[in-house]
Amino acid sequence: MATSIARFSRRGVASSLIRRCFAAEAALATHTDPPKPKLTVSPSPSPDRVKWDYRGQRQIIPLGQWLPKVAVDAYVAPNAVLAGQVTVWDGSSVWNGAVLRGDLNKITLGFCSNVQERCVVHAAWSSPTGLPAETLIDRYVTVGAYSLLRSCTIEPECIIGQHSILMEGSLVETRSILEAGSVVPPGRRIPSGELWGGNPARFIRTLTNEETLEIPKLAVAINHLSGDYFSEFLPYSTVYLEVEKFKRSLGITV
Amino acid sequence: MGTLGRVIYTVGNWIRGSGQALDRVGSILQGSHRLEEHLSRHRTLMSVFDKSPLVDKDVFVAPSASVIGDVQIGKGSSIWYGCVLRGDVNNISVGSGTNIQDNSLVHVAKTNLSGKVLPTTIGDNVTVAGHSAVIHGCTVEDEAFVGMGATLLDGVVVEKHAMVAAGSLVRENTRIPSGEVWGGNPAKFMRKLTDEEIAYISKSAENYINLAHIHAAENSKSFEEIEVERALRKKYARKDEDYDSMLGIVRETPAELILPDNVLPEKTTTRVPTTHY
Repeated sequence: MATSIARFSRRGVASSLIRRCFAAEAALATHTDPPKPKLTVSPSPSPDRVKWDYRGQRQIIPLGQWLPKVAVDAYVAPNAVLAGQVTVWDGSSVWNGAVLRGDLNKITLGFCSNVQERCVVHAAWSSPTGLPAETLIDRYVTVGAYSLLRSCTIEPECIIGQHSILMEGSLVETRSILEAGSVVPPGRRIPSGELWGGNPARFIRTLTNEETLEIPKLAVAINHLSGDYFSEFLPYSTVYLEVEKFKRSLGITV
Repeated sequence: MGTLGRVIYTVGNWIRGSGQALDRVGSILQGSHRLEEHLSRHRTLMSVFDKSPLVDKDVFVAPSASVIGDVQIGKGSSIWYGCVLRGDVNNISVGSGTNIQDNSLVHVAKTNLSGKVLPTTIGDNVTVAGHSAVIHGCTVEDEAFVGMGATLLDGVVVEKHAMVAAGSLVRENTRIPSGEVWGGNPAKFMRKLTDEEIAYISKSAENYINLAHIHAAENSKSFEEIEVERALRKKYARKDEDYDSMLGIVRETPAELILPDNVLPEKTTTRVPTTHY
């Protein structure tokens, strides 16, 4: 009894949901708004636009012939977005909310590197140095949370601090550390074995030998952590069961 | 061989059914720790009570972006992955041809320390080259450029053709005059923009409109289309155009796999002027 009432009430709500989320299969949505005269040309919304898609955002977005390639043991968080020419090599990890947009140029994430939460890695079409403007993150690099990388080259075994901004053409040489919040101007080269930081990035001190030995250890530690996360996910998602249940409840043939 | 096909199909069904049963057994074994997958409830366009977003039909809004509340977006603009445009306490209006890049945050204030509250207005053809810019209750006029990671606080006015350098923090109520580059923390005048750079800003906004079309098309594909393209891509992965041309073979890549030409800037451009600081 209660379930049938629930089913009927859900059908009432669901009928508007049908139009919204299954626009491709069912009738078009009839959502119209009175135009607000605030802009010079008021936007004309399309009735086809869905307000939310039950599929969410795809993790891997191919563009034309480019398909992002993820190694089999690399962990890419489900809400990370890889688009275009992106290659994620073995043992590396891309954490939550990161956006790796390789639509203008290539992005490579090397062995055992990690791109932490909410980073944006992009590649410009051309770089002011004239060198190829792809973003290359070599092996054992830790890119801290919320950083922005654009057409930069990061050589092996570096640490990029959190919320740092690396602009076009910058080069971070091997075994260097960038402090959190540093802004590296376009074309800047951070020499090997040094600690730089600030906005704009300035030399702070050289790194001791012990510190340079710690750098790959950090990357490996994060690699182990990503292994835990990787094993949390089934090889294939079982959401299709939910989708079938959902469609069945809305009366759409599966 | 109809019956053989039928038999194999039925056996396949049995195996799938037992696979699902095993899945259920495994979930019971995992008990309360088991992973329960749910449909994505992320709402790209979300209304708060009576404030709903008004988004033009040409606009690319990435599925992982959130456009919430009283937001108006003009034609040709693009809202990229992971952005949050939260117009819940006041209104946000984004002009046409503007691009708000990945992971940016456009927000409005209801109350302010000084007591004056402005809605956020972003003009036409603005590049919030964002990648995580934070725009809070300010006005950005047409053809301005907000650099990567910049934070613009309440009441800031960025005039036409002005540029906010990457990583800068622009304090409240600063006015950035036209044609200048401001940067640093707190943002100060750095230098004037050359005409080349001003032209570059509008050019890049245009490039982004074209790029947005591609992403919009890709993100709105239905399941069947995605599968068809995946099969096509697999088939054409091994066929390199250069190699073929050396052998004298001309192969046609299927139309679905060709990106439109207007996305990438022409190869005749020389050095891109470094407009970012």
